[in-house]
Amino acid sequence: MGKPVMEEQNILTDENIARVRDLLATLERGDIKGANEVIDDLASIRESDIYKEMGKLTRELHDAIMAFGMDEQLSVLAENEIPDARQRLRHVIDMTDQAAHRTLNEVEESLPVCEQLETRSKSLHDDWLRFKSRDMDINEFKQLAHRLDKFFEVNTNDASKLRESLNNVLMAQDFQDLTSQIIKKVIKLVEEVESNLVEIIRLTGAPGGKKQKDPKQEEKLAGPVVPGVNDGGSTVSGQDDVDDLLSSLGF
Amino acid sequence: MKILIVDDFSTMRRIIKNLLRDLGFNNTAEADDGTTALPMLQGGKFDLLVTDWNMPGMQGIDLLKHVRADESLVKLPVLMVTAEQKREQIVEAAQAGVNGYIVKPFTAQTLKEKLEKIFERIEG
Repeated sequence: MGKPVMEEQNILTDENIARVRDLLATLERGDIKGANEVIDDLASIRESDIYKEMGKLTRELHDAIMAFGMDEQLSVLAENEIPDARQRLRHVIDMTDQAAHRTLNEVEESLPVCEQLETRSKSLHDDWLRFKSRDMDINEFKQLAHRLDKFFEVNTNDASKLRESLNNVLMAQDFQDLTSQIIKKVIKLVEEVESNLVEIIRLTGAPGGKKQKDPKQEEKLAGPVVPGVNDGGSTVSGQDDVDDLLSSLGF
Repeated sequence: MKILIVDDFSTMRRIIKNLLRDLGFNNTAEADDGTTALPMLQGGKFDLLVTDWNMPGMQGIDLLKHVRADESLVKLPVLMVTAEQKREQIVEAAQAGVNGYIVKPFTAQTLKEKLEKIFERIEG
């Protein structure tokens, strides 16, 4: 903010010269009231200048306060919103973790049910084929009939068990909706921080050009490939590429 | 056939464990990073190591290097299952003596093929 400089104003106008002559005349006449009026007139010339300067100062002050307000916004972001976002993202990890475990639990419970079903069906099928080719005596057939009864009963039970498990797997997917809402919020926050930082860089006039390589960046592992995000360096695109690369190395 | 599964995410360990069981490998153990895996490998007679790369503590690549530097483990087949897809990393793993490299996300079929390949080479 520059020091306000009064603008030089041309006070050598005919009007002003006439005013000073008036002042002299009123004083010589002893017209105190008239003289005061002329002096007020003359002073008002200066006052209008002061008002102009005040206006300028007020605008500058306003701008400064706005910029300060933005600083404060950034500190609110840093002190509250970012820890809050961290909390939210941790919650996303928890939710996805829970969903994965719920799903895995159901799968682990269902797989043996399927295996038993398969085994039972196979053994009954073998006996059934023997019966059809009349390779079975009456006692064996009675046993088979009994086993069939049992088979239908157990299957009905197992089928409802499997249906329940599948429903639980279905329900475990509700995390997707919730986590994406949270992640969208965090993306919005990141955008806000970004625009504030850009504004600060603009205000402080920091040079934006030079890109310096973060020395830590090179040590960091890239992790899963995210479409549209380039981590630098060349990555393979899937298992086939990995296999090609390895076979080119003599694997 | 005894297999050690090393990954810092318990869900991924469970997935691999279930896939291996489906392929007929019932004898598995788990560790959540290289630091806990290495003494397990040295203590128990494992026939295969399946490891992630990016883990806290000791990373998979360092575990692989320790395994290859250990006389009792030098011949242990190591299958890497990881999200790391940089060419230089795959080359690094190959040079460190990995026997197979699977990138996540992967399918049950891929796991089956890589395991078959590893065992083929051992028997051949």
